[in-house]
Amino acid sequence: MLKLDHVGFRYGRGGEILKDISFGLTRGELAFLTGASGAGKTTLLRLLFLAVKPTRGTVQLFGQNVAPLRRQDLTPLRRRVGVVFQEFRLLDHLTTFDNVALPLRVAGLDPQSYRQDVADLLEWVGLKAQAQSYPPVLSGGEKQRAAIARAVIAKPELLLADEPTGNVDPALAKRLLHLFTELNRLGTSVLIATHDMNLLAQVPAPVLHLEKGRLVRR
Amino acid sequence: MMKPGEIIQREAASLSSLTATMAVMCYLACLAIGALILIDRAVDGWTRGLAQEVTVQIKEVDGRDIGADVNMAQQLLRDTVGVADVKALDRAQTEKLLEPWLGSVGLDALPVPRLIVVTVDVTAPPDYLVLQKQLAAVVPSAVLDTHQRWEADLTRMAGTLSLLSMLILTLIAAAAVAMVVFATRAVLDANRHTVDVLHLVGAEDKFIAREINRRFLGTGLVAGSLGLVLALLTFYALGNTGLPQVEGLATASRSLLQWPNGFALIGLLAVPLVATALALVTSQLTLMRMLGRIR
Repeated sequence: MLKLDHVGFRYGRGGEILKDISFGLTRGELAFLTGASGAGKTTLLRLLFLAVKPTRGTVQLFGQNVAPLRRQDLTPLRRRVGVVFQEFRLLDHLTTFDNVALPLRVAGLDPQSYRQDVADLLEWVGLKAQAQSYPPVLSGGEKQRAAIARAVIAKPELLLADEPTGNVDPALAKRLLHLFTELNRLGTSVLIATHDMNLLAQVPAPVLHLEKGRLVRR
Repeated sequence: MMKPGEIIQREAASLSSLTATMAVMCYLACLAIGALILIDRAVDGWTRGLAQEVTVQIKEVDGRDIGADVNMAQQLLRDTVGVADVKALDRAQTEKLLEPWLGSVGLDALPVPRLIVVTVDVTAPPDYLVLQKQLAAVVPSAVLDTHQRWEADLTRMAGTLSLLSMLILTLIAAAAVAMVVFATRAVLDANRHTVDVLHLVGAEDKFIAREINRRFLGTGLVAGSLGLVLALLTFYALGNTGLPQVEGLATASRSLLQWPNGFALIGLLAVPLVATALALVTSQLTLMRMLGRIR
């Protein structure tokens, strides 16, 4: 599913942000990624959702080494990965419904074919009433849930989540975690970057800990 | 069912400046095409007139009766196959032709040559080399002027003007392409966040380019149509000025708008379509190149 071998990354000529990272995630596995702010969690996730290329080492996604792939070959891989961004990255000019439906729309599906699925998911994450609202009027927690719904709507094989419960209350955090474990139970591999210790305590899963760009398995 | 919202926001991709400048470009293109068509028509008219008519000039020669020479030349011309009409100008008419250059005083003393205007059948004109020889045999001072030198000069001048119009059209197209490239870059920059999100949710470059390109379809059509309407109004206004100083231009402008002699109108109507195609192809190529640089 996902395999990193001695991966290093630096921005331009700066120092290495990620150093010698090696780990793997098998199909249907759930793991947590922890570390202090600035430890490199977000950069590692950027590597995993193919926003940047490693400066050394290899990243294999779904059995393919991504380094030599051309840009157009990355798109089919990205469609198999769902991403929840820490800063949500919703499109302010689209309704919550349209934001959540975006991965299906860019895949060329007929809106009629996914309308009910999107409505069901919005109801499940508690955003039914906000379906036609625009992100600027949503609260932080609502934006978070919309971002999660967008990440999972296409039933990805791999879900990467950057602080997915950072803006929600404990009850909703628990519910969202339940959503992730449900997806995981159905076969999706899940990697959750978080520093919420309560979250870690609720699910028995391996924890990958980043310290100053190096990975320490706990 | 509600229609999905526009992925590329209209407000975040304003093309009003591009539409306005493209409309001006299309207007200039219409004027250049109009000029091209008018030149072509004028040259066609002139050369047809020149080809229809040749002139025989008979000079006064000592010892010969110029009146008899004119009559013999006329007779020969009438008997020539391909000659439709022969008309000799008398001395008074010839002097009238010379008046603008020589004045009217003292022409009686000058050896004024006589002219015979020959109308030929343009579909089967006589062999001018043979005709010249035959004339020279009967009237040694006869000179046949087929106007070919004038025709060549006119054709050359028209060719230069046509080339100039083509050059102007090419420059207009090049400027339009440059403007569309700049506008495309501006739209992409203004929508960078959207483009990044689209990439990350699995959008192909083709999809993003198509979403952005929709805006350029409208721009090309609106700008082209505006330019065309302005040009038609200009031709109409020129055609109805009523000023004697620009009567030639007025007649030409009116003829541009006449149907069914509608080649001109078809050429002008093509401007909005060509502008749209140019805008679409340019923005598509620019977008694909720029999107290709974003990972």
